[in-house]
Amino acid sequence: MNTTRHGAVIVRGTLIATAVAAVLLAACATAPVKPDGASEARMKLTQLQSDPNLASRAAPAIKDADLAVRAAEQPEADKELAAYRVYLADRKVDTARALAETRFAEDQRAVITAQRDSARLDARTREADAAKGQVATARAEGAEQKMAADRARTEADAAHVAAASSEQQAAELQRQIDVLQAKPTDRGLVLTLGDVLFTSGRADLKPGATGNLNKLVAFLNQYPDRTVVIQGYTDSVGSEGYNQALSERRADSVKSYLAEQGIGSIRLSASGKGPSDPVAGNDSAAGRQQNRRVEVIISNPPAALR
Amino acid sequence: MNATFQAKRESHARIALGFTGVLVLAACASTPPAPTANLQAAQQAIAAAERSEAARYAPGELSEAHTKLALADTAVTQSKMVVAEHFADESRAEAELASAKASAAKASAVNDEMQRSNGTLIDEMKRGSGDKQ
Repeated sequence: MNTTRHGAVIVRGTLIATAVAAVLLAACATAPVKPDGASEARMKLTQLQSDPNLASRAAPAIKDADLAVRAAEQPEADKELAAYRVYLADRKVDTARALAETRFAEDQRAVITAQRDSARLDARTREADAAKGQVATARAEGAEQKMAADRARTEADAAHVAAASSEQQAAELQRQIDVLQAKPTDRGLVLTLGDVLFTSGRADLKPGATGNLNKLVAFLNQYPDRTVVIQGYTDSVGSEGYNQALSERRADSVKSYLAEQGIGSIRLSASGKGPSDPVAGNDSAAGRQQNRRVEVIISNPPAALR
Repeated sequence: MNATFQAKRESHARIALGFTGVLVLAACASTPPAPTANLQAAQQAIAAAERSEAARYAPGELSEAHTKLALADTAVTQSKMVVAEHFADESRAEAELASAKASAAKASAVNDEMQRSNGTLIDEMKRGSGDKQ
Protein backbone atom coordinates (compact mmCIF):
# COMPACT_ATOMS: atom_id res chain seq x y z
CA MET A 1 0.00 0.00 0.00
CA ASN A 2 2.74 2.32 1.06
CA THR A 3 4.93 1.34 -1.81
CA THR A 4 2.04 1.93 -4.17
CA ARG A 5 1.54 5.47 -2.89
CA HIS A 6 5.27 6.08 -3.17
CA GLY A 7 5.16 4.95 -6.81
CA ALA A 8 2.24 7.28 -7.53
CA VAL A 9 4.15 10.18 -6.08
CA ILE A 10 7.08 9.38 -8.37
CA VAL A 11 4.81 9.23 -11.42
CA ARG A 12 3.18 12.53 -10.46
CA GLY A 13 6.59 14.11 -9.97
CA THR A 14 7.70 12.96 -13.42
CA LEU A 15 4.54 14.36 -15.01
CA ILE A 16 5.09 17.74 -13.37
CA ALA A 17 8.69 17.80 -14.51
CA THR A 18 7.62 17.00 -18.08
CA ALA A 19 4.96 19.73 -18.02
CA VAL A 20 7.47 22.27 -16.80
CA ALA A 21 9.91 21.28 -19.52
CA ALA A 22 7.15 21.62 -22.11
CA VAL A 23 6.26 25.09 -20.84
CA LEU A 24 9.94 26.08 -20.96
CA LEU A 25 10.26 24.77 -24.52
CA ALA A 26 7.14 26.65 -25.56
CA ALA A 27 8.56 29.80 -24.06
CA CYS A 28 11.78 29.25 -26.03
CA ALA A 29 9.80 28.74 -29.27
CA THR A 30 7.61 31.84 -28.91
CA ALA A 31 10.34 34.20 -27.77
CA PRO A 32 11.81 35.50 -31.15
CA VAL A 33 8.56 36.12 -33.01
CA LYS A 34 8.27 38.63 -35.88
CA PRO A 35 5.86 41.53 -35.41
CA ASP A 36 2.50 41.29 -37.20
CA GLY A 37 2.63 42.49 -40.77
CA ALA A 38 6.41 42.25 -41.12
CA SER A 39 6.26 39.12 -43.24
CA GLU A 40 3.66 40.70 -45.53
CA ALA A 41 5.99 43.63 -46.10
CA ARG A 42 8.84 41.19 -46.78
CA MET A 43 6.69 39.32 -49.28
CA LYS A 44 5.83 42.49 -51.17
CA LEU A 45 9.50 43.50 -51.19
CA THR A 46 10.55 40.08 -52.51
CA GLN A 47 7.98 40.34 -55.30
CA LEU A 48 9.34 43.75 -56.22
CA GLN A 49 12.93 42.53 -56.15
CA SER A 50 12.15 39.55 -58.36
CA ASP A 51 10.33 41.63 -61.00
CA PRO A 52 12.82 41.94 -63.88
CA ASN A 53 11.18 45.12 -65.12
CA LEU A 54 11.31 46.85 -61.74
CA ALA A 55 14.14 45.38 -59.63
CA SER A 56 16.93 47.33 -61.34
CA ARG A 57 14.94 50.57 -61.35
CA ALA A 58 14.69 52.75 -58.20
CA ALA A 59 17.51 50.78 -56.57
CA PRO A 60 18.07 53.30 -53.72
CA ALA A 61 14.37 53.25 -52.77
CA ILE A 62 14.39 49.46 -52.82
CA LYS A 63 17.46 49.39 -50.59
CA ASP A 64 15.77 51.85 -48.23
CA ALA A 65 12.68 49.63 -48.16
CA ASP A 66 14.85 46.58 -47.46
CA LEU A 67 16.38 48.29 -44.44
CA ALA A 68 12.92 49.24 -43.19
CA VAL A 69 11.64 45.70 -43.64
CA ARG A 70 14.64 44.31 -41.70
CA ALA A 71 13.94 46.74 -38.88
CA ALA A 72 10.29 45.69 -38.91
CA GLU A 73 11.26 42.02 -38.74
CA GLN A 74 13.16 42.51 -35.45
CA PRO A 75 11.22 40.99 -32.54
CA GLU A 76 9.96 43.85 -30.44
CA ALA A 77 8.18 43.68 -27.09
CA ASP A 78 6.89 47.24 -27.53
CA LYS A 79 3.81 46.61 -29.70
CA GLU A 80 3.48 50.25 -30.72
CA LEU A 81 7.11 50.47 -31.79
CA ALA A 82 6.74 47.22 -33.74
CA ALA A 83 3.60 48.49 -35.49
CA TYR A 84 5.36 51.76 -36.32
CA ARG A 85 8.26 49.93 -37.93
CA VAL A 86 5.95 47.64 -39.91
CA TYR A 87 3.97 50.68 -41.06
CA LEU A 88 7.09 52.43 -42.32
CA ALA A 89 8.38 49.25 -43.99
CA ASP A 90 5.07 48.68 -45.75
CA ARG A 91 4.88 52.25 -47.09
CA LYS A 92 8.50 52.26 -48.17
CA VAL A 93 8.07 49.04 -50.14
CA ASP A 94 4.99 50.51 -51.85
CA THR A 95 6.86 53.74 -52.52
CA ALA A 96 9.82 51.86 -54.01
CA ARG A 97 7.45 49.93 -56.28
CA ALA A 98 5.70 53.11 -57.44
CA LEU A 99 9.03 54.80 -58.17
CA ALA A 100 10.27 51.76 -60.09
CA GLU A 101 7.04 51.69 -62.07
CA THR A 102 7.46 55.38 -62.87
CA ARG A 103 10.98 54.81 -64.12
CA PHE A 104 9.87 51.79 -66.11
CA ALA A 105 7.09 53.81 -67.76
CA GLU A 106 9.57 56.57 -68.59
CA ASP A 107 11.96 54.03 -70.10
CA GLN A 108 9.11 52.53 -72.12
CA ARG A 109 8.60 55.87 -73.84
CA ALA A 110 11.74 55.34 -75.88
CA VAL A 111 10.22 52.11 -77.17
CA ILE A 112 6.87 53.79 -77.90
CA THR A 113 8.62 56.70 -79.62
CA ALA A 114 10.64 54.25 -81.67
CA GLN A 115 7.42 52.49 -82.66
CA ARG A 116 5.91 55.84 -83.60
CA ASP A 117 8.96 56.79 -85.62
CA SER A 118 8.90 53.51 -87.45
CA ALA A 119 5.16 53.91 -88.08
CA ARG A 120 5.79 57.42 -89.40
CA LEU A 121 8.62 56.15 -91.54
CA ASP A 122 6.34 53.46 -92.91
CA ALA A 123 3.69 56.08 -93.63
CA ARG A 124 6.19 58.29 -95.43
CA THR A 125 7.57 55.34 -97.34
CA ARG A 126 4.06 54.45 -98.39
CA GLU A 127 3.33 58.03 -99.38
CA ALA A 128 6.54 58.11 -101.39
CA ASP A 129 5.65 54.79 -103.00
CA ALA A 130 2.16 56.06 -103.73
CA ALA A 131 3.58 59.24 -105.25
CA LYS A 132 5.99 57.14 -107.25
CA GLY A 133 3.04 55.01 -108.29
CA GLN A 134 1.13 58.11 -109.36
CA VAL A 135 4.09 59.30 -111.37
CA ALA A 136 4.30 55.88 -112.94
CA THR A 137 0.56 55.97 -113.62
CA ALA A 138 0.84 59.43 -115.14
CA ARG A 139 3.75 58.21 -117.20
CA ALA A 140 1.74 55.18 -118.22
CA GLU A 141 -1.17 57.45 -119.11
CA GLY A 142 1.17 59.59 -121.14
CA ALA A 143 2.44 56.48 -122.84
CA GLU A 144 -1.14 55.41 -123.43
CA GLN A 145 -2.00 58.76 -124.95
CA LYS A 146 1.06 58.50 -127.14
CA MET A 147 -0.03 55.03 -128.12
CA ALA A 148 -3.50 56.34 -128.92
CA ALA A 149 -1.95 59.08 -131.02
CA ASP A 150 0.27 56.52 -132.70
CA ARG A 151 -2.76 54.34 -133.27
CA ALA A 152 -4.67 57.27 -134.77
CA ARG A 153 -1.71 58.03 -136.96
CA THR A 154 -1.48 54.40 -137.98
CA GLU A 155 -5.18 54.39 -138.76
CA ALA A 156 -4.78 57.56 -140.78
CA ASP A 157 -1.88 55.92 -142.57
CA ALA A 158 -3.99 52.85 -143.10
CA ALA A 159 -6.75 55.06 -144.49
CA HIS A 160 -4.20 56.59 -146.80
CA VAL A 161 -3.02 53.14 -147.75
CA ALA A 162 -6.63 52.05 -148.18
CA ALA A 163 -7.35 55.10 -150.28
CA ALA A 164 -4.20 54.43 -152.20
CA SER A 165 -5.08 50.78 -152.49
CA SER A 166 -8.64 51.59 -153.58
CA GLU A 167 -7.10 53.78 -156.23
CA GLN A 168 -4.77 50.90 -157.01
CA GLN A 169 -7.73 48.57 -157.09
CA ALA A 170 -9.59 50.88 -159.40
CA ALA A 171 -6.52 51.02 -161.60
CA GLU A 172 -6.21 47.25 -161.40
CA LEU A 173 -9.87 46.85 -162.31
CA GLN A 174 -9.39 49.11 -165.25
CA ARG A 175 -6.37 47.06 -166.24
CA GLN A 176 -8.39 43.85 -165.95
CA ILE A 177 -11.18 45.41 -167.96
CA ASP A 178 -8.68 46.40 -170.56
CA VAL A 179 -7.31 42.87 -170.57
CA LEU A 180 -10.86 41.55 -171.06
CA GLN A 181 -11.46 44.16 -173.71
CA ALA A 182 -14.79 44.80 -171.98
CA LYS A 183 -16.77 47.93 -172.59
CA PRO A 184 -18.25 49.82 -169.71
CA THR A 185 -21.96 50.43 -170.37
CA ASP A 186 -25.04 51.30 -168.30
CA ARG A 187 -25.78 47.59 -167.92
CA GLY A 188 -22.28 46.89 -166.68
CA LEU A 189 -19.10 45.77 -168.33
CA VAL A 190 -19.91 44.10 -171.57
CA LEU A 191 -17.47 41.53 -172.85
CA THR A 192 -18.12 40.34 -176.36
CA LEU A 193 -16.87 36.90 -177.22
CA GLY A 194 -16.65 36.43 -180.95
CA ASP A 195 -17.69 33.32 -182.88
CA VAL A 196 -14.12 32.06 -182.80
CA LEU A 197 -15.27 30.12 -179.73
CA PHE A 198 -17.61 27.92 -181.67
CA THR A 199 -17.55 25.81 -184.79
CA SER A 200 -20.19 26.99 -187.18
CA GLY A 201 -23.60 25.55 -186.34
CA ARG A 202 -22.39 24.02 -183.11
CA ALA A 203 -22.68 25.07 -179.48
CA ASP A 204 -19.68 23.37 -177.86
CA LEU A 205 -16.62 25.47 -177.22
CA LYS A 206 -13.62 24.97 -179.42
CA PRO A 207 -10.78 23.40 -177.48
CA GLY A 208 -7.92 25.88 -177.05
CA ALA A 209 -10.22 28.83 -177.69
CA THR A 210 -10.87 29.47 -174.00
CA GLY A 211 -8.12 32.05 -173.42
CA ASN A 212 -10.50 34.97 -173.29
CA LEU A 213 -12.89 33.02 -171.04
CA ASN A 214 -10.07 32.22 -168.63
CA LYS A 215 -9.34 35.94 -168.30
CA LEU A 216 -13.04 36.30 -167.41
CA VAL A 217 -12.73 33.54 -164.80
CA ALA A 218 -9.72 35.30 -163.25
CA PHE A 219 -11.63 38.56 -163.21
CA LEU A 220 -14.68 37.01 -161.57
CA ASN A 221 -12.48 35.32 -158.97
CA GLN A 222 -10.94 38.66 -158.13
CA TYR A 223 -14.30 40.44 -157.89
CA PRO A 224 -16.55 37.90 -156.24
CA ASP A 225 -19.44 40.33 -155.67
CA ARG A 226 -20.09 40.66 -159.40
CA THR A 227 -22.64 38.58 -161.20
CA VAL A 228 -22.70 37.71 -164.85
CA VAL A 229 -25.42 37.67 -167.46
CA ILE A 230 -24.53 35.61 -170.57
CA GLN A 231 -26.46 36.29 -173.73
CA GLY A 232 -26.11 34.38 -176.99
CA TYR A 233 -26.69 36.00 -180.38
CA THR A 234 -26.75 34.66 -183.97
CA ASP A 235 -26.85 36.07 -187.47
CA SER A 236 -30.02 35.97 -189.46
CA VAL A 237 -29.05 32.96 -191.56
CA GLY A 238 -31.42 30.06 -190.94
CA SER A 239 -34.75 29.78 -189.25
CA GLU A 240 -35.61 31.97 -186.31
CA GLY A 241 -36.30 28.98 -184.08
CA TYR A 242 -33.01 27.30 -184.94
CA ASN A 243 -31.04 30.48 -184.28
CA GLN A 244 -32.87 31.08 -181.01
CA ALA A 245 -32.09 27.58 -179.80
CA LEU A 246 -28.50 27.83 -180.99
CA SER A 247 -27.98 31.15 -179.18
CA GLU A 248 -29.38 29.63 -175.96
CA ARG A 249 -27.14 26.56 -176.18
CA ARG A 250 -24.06 28.70 -176.84
CA ALA A 251 -24.86 30.93 -173.88
CA ASP A 252 -25.37 27.80 -171.78
CA SER A 253 -22.01 26.42 -172.94
CA VAL A 254 -20.26 29.54 -171.72
CA LYS A 255 -22.18 29.38 -168.44
CA SER A 256 -21.23 25.70 -168.00
CA TYR A 257 -17.60 26.44 -168.68
CA LEU A 258 -17.53 29.25 -166.15
CA ALA A 259 -19.24 27.02 -163.59
CA GLU A 260 -16.69 24.28 -164.28
CA GLN A 261 -13.96 26.83 -163.58
CA GLY A 262 -15.36 27.39 -160.09
CA ILE A 263 -17.64 30.38 -160.56
CA GLY A 264 -20.76 29.86 -158.48
CA SER A 265 -23.72 29.20 -160.77
CA ILE A 266 -25.79 31.52 -158.62
CA ARG A 267 -23.74 34.35 -160.07
CA LEU A 268 -24.40 33.18 -163.59
CA SER A 269 -27.44 33.45 -165.79
CA ALA A 270 -27.65 32.58 -169.47
CA SER A 271 -30.17 33.33 -172.18
CA GLY A 272 -30.46 33.23 -175.98
CA LYS A 273 -31.40 36.24 -178.05
CA GLY A 274 -31.25 34.66 -181.50
CA PRO A 275 -30.66 37.05 -184.41
CA SER A 276 -32.18 40.01 -182.56
CA ASP A 277 -30.15 43.02 -181.73
CA PRO A 278 -27.45 42.68 -184.39
CA VAL A 279 -24.35 44.76 -183.94
CA ALA A 280 -23.65 44.83 -187.69
CA GLY A 281 -25.44 44.24 -190.97
CA ASN A 282 -26.28 40.65 -191.90
CA ASP A 283 -25.77 41.37 -195.57
CA SER A 284 -22.01 40.89 -195.47
CA ALA A 285 -19.93 38.01 -194.18
CA ALA A 286 -18.01 40.36 -191.89
CA GLY A 287 -21.27 41.81 -190.53
CA ARG A 288 -22.74 38.35 -189.94
CA GLN A 289 -19.54 37.25 -188.20
CA GLN A 290 -19.87 40.21 -185.80
CA ASN A 291 -23.48 39.34 -185.13
CA ARG A 292 -22.59 35.71 -184.18
CA ARG A 293 -21.44 36.41 -180.69
CA VAL A 294 -21.86 35.81 -176.98
CA GLU A 295 -22.02 38.87 -174.81
CA VAL A 296 -21.03 38.55 -171.19
CA ILE A 297 -22.42 41.39 -169.10
CA ILE A 298 -20.59 41.80 -165.83
CA SER A 299 -22.82 43.61 -163.35
CA ASN A 300 -21.54 46.69 -161.58
CA PRO A 301 -20.90 46.07 -157.87
CA PRO A 302 -23.68 47.15 -155.41
CA ALA A 303 -22.08 50.65 -155.12
CA ALA A 304 -18.52 49.91 -154.23
CA LEU A 305 -16.09 50.50 -157.01
CA ARG A 306 -17.50 53.60 -158.62
CA MET B 1 46.00 85.97 2.52
CA ASN B 2 42.52 86.11 3.92
CA ALA B 3 41.38 87.87 0.79
CA THR B 4 42.88 85.14 -1.32
CA PHE B 5 41.05 82.48 0.67
CA GLN B 6 37.84 84.46 0.32
CA ALA B 7 38.29 84.62 -3.43
CA LYS B 8 38.96 80.92 -3.66
CA ARG B 9 35.83 80.18 -1.73
CA GLU B 10 33.72 82.36 -4.00
CA SER B 11 35.20 80.62 -6.98
CA HIS B 12 34.17 77.24 -5.58
CA ALA B 13 30.70 78.54 -4.91
CA ARG B 14 30.41 79.75 -8.55
CA ILE B 15 31.53 76.41 -9.87
CA ALA B 16 29.01 74.67 -7.67
CA LEU B 17 26.29 76.99 -8.94
CA GLY B 18 27.28 76.31 -12.51
CA PHE B 19 27.22 72.59 -11.92
CA THR B 20 23.78 72.86 -10.38
CA GLY B 21 22.64 74.77 -13.45
CA VAL B 22 23.87 71.99 -15.70
CA LEU B 23 21.99 69.47 -13.60
CA VAL B 24 18.83 71.56 -13.83
CA LEU B 25 19.18 71.81 -17.62
CA ALA B 26 19.76 68.09 -17.82
CA ALA B 27 16.60 67.55 -15.84
CA CYS B 28 14.71 69.76 -18.32
CA ALA B 29 16.12 67.75 -21.27
CA SER B 30 14.81 64.52 -19.81
CA THR B 31 11.28 65.58 -20.86
CA PRO B 32 11.99 64.93 -24.60
CA PRO B 33 11.78 67.88 -27.05
CA ALA B 34 9.15 68.02 -29.72
CA PRO B 35 10.23 66.07 -32.87
CA THR B 36 10.43 69.29 -34.83
CA ALA B 37 12.62 67.93 -37.63
CA ASN B 38 10.33 64.93 -38.17
CA LEU B 39 7.26 67.15 -38.22
CA GLN B 40 8.86 69.51 -40.72
CA ALA B 41 9.91 66.62 -42.90
CA ALA B 42 6.34 65.35 -42.86
CA GLN B 43 4.97 68.77 -43.80
CA GLN B 44 7.42 69.10 -46.66
CA ALA B 45 6.59 65.63 -47.92
CA ILE B 46 2.87 66.48 -47.87
CA ALA B 47 3.53 69.77 -49.73
CA ALA B 48 5.55 67.87 -52.35
CA ALA B 49 2.77 65.32 -52.73
CA GLU B 50 0.23 68.09 -53.24
CA ARG B 51 2.45 69.66 -55.89
CA SER B 52 2.57 66.36 -57.75
CA GLU B 53 -1.22 66.22 -57.89
CA ALA B 54 -1.51 63.47 -55.27
CA ALA B 55 -4.99 64.82 -54.47
CA ARG B 56 -6.01 63.56 -57.92
CA TYR B 57 -3.86 60.46 -58.33
CA ALA B 58 -3.46 59.17 -54.71
CA PRO B 59 -6.17 60.83 -52.63
CA GLY B 60 -6.29 58.01 -50.02
CA GLU B 61 -2.60 58.21 -49.24
CA LEU B 62 -2.58 62.02 -49.13
CA SER B 63 -5.52 62.07 -46.76
CA GLU B 64 -3.83 59.47 -44.55
CA ALA B 65 -0.67 61.61 -44.44
CA HIS B 66 -2.70 64.61 -43.30
CA THR B 67 -4.39 62.52 -40.61
CA LYS B 68 -1.07 61.20 -39.31
CA LEU B 69 0.39 64.71 -39.18
CA ALA B 70 -2.62 65.93 -37.19
CA LEU B 71 -2.17 63.00 -34.78
CA ALA B 72 1.50 63.95 -34.41
CA ASP B 73 0.56 67.56 -33.57
CA THR B 74 -1.96 66.36 -31.02
CA ALA B 75 0.66 64.09 -29.42
CA VAL B 76 3.03 67.05 -29.16
CA THR B 77 0.43 69.06 -27.27
CA GLN B 78 0.07 66.09 -24.93
CA SER B 79 3.88 65.97 -24.60
CA LYS B 80 3.87 62.42 -26.00
CA MET B 81 6.95 63.18 -28.02
CA VAL B 82 7.84 59.60 -28.99
CA VAL B 83 4.31 59.01 -30.22
CA ALA B 84 4.45 62.37 -32.03
CA GLU B 85 7.72 61.37 -33.70
CA HIS B 86 6.26 58.08 -34.90
CA PHE B 87 3.15 59.75 -36.29
CA ALA B 88 5.30 62.36 -38.01
CA ASP B 89 7.47 59.64 -39.62
CA GLU B 90 4.37 57.72 -40.68
CA SER B 91 2.87 60.89 -42.14
CA ARG B 92 6.04 61.49 -44.12
CA ALA B 93 6.21 57.90 -45.38
CA GLU B 94 2.56 58.11 -46.41
CA ALA B 95 3.07 61.45 -48.18
CA GLU B 96 6.13 60.09 -50.03
CA LEU B 97 4.06 57.11 -51.09
CA ALA B 98 1.35 59.49 -52.33
CA SER B 99 3.95 61.38 -54.40
CA ALA B 100 5.37 58.18 -55.86
CA LYS B 101 1.93 56.84 -56.74
CA ALA B 102 0.99 60.14 -58.39
CA SER B 103 4.20 60.04 -60.44
CA ALA B 104 3.56 56.47 -61.50
CA ALA B 105 -0.04 57.25 -62.47
CA LYS B 106 1.01 60.30 -64.49
CA ALA B 107 3.81 58.43 -66.24
CA SER B 108 1.44 55.63 -67.11
CA ALA B 109 -1.15 58.13 -68.41
CA VAL B 110 1.47 59.75 -70.64
CA ASN B 111 2.45 56.33 -72.02
CA ASP B 112 -1.18 55.40 -72.61
CA GLU B 113 -1.69 58.63 -74.52
CA MET B 114 1.44 58.02 -76.59
CA GLN B 115 0.33 54.51 -77.39
CA ARG B 116 -3.16 55.69 -78.31
CA SER B 117 -1.79 58.28 -80.70
CA ASN B 118 0.55 55.63 -82.13
CA GLY B 119 -2.47 53.45 -82.70
CA THR B 120 -4.27 56.35 -84.38
CA LEU B 121 -1.27 56.98 -86.61
CA ILE B 122 -1.08 53.34 -87.58
CA ASP B 123 -4.84 53.25 -88.22
CA GLU B 124 -4.63 56.36 -90.37
CA MET B 125 -1.75 54.84 -92.25
CA LYS B 126 -3.73 51.68 -92.92
CA ARG B 127 -6.77 53.71 -93.98
CA GLY B 128 -4.59 55.91 -96.16
CA SER B 129 -3.04 52.95 -97.92
CA GLY B 130 -6.48 51.33 -98.11
CA ASP B 131 -7.86 54.37 -99.95
CA LYS B 132 -5.09 54.23 -102.45
CA GLN B 133 -5.59 50.59 -103.23
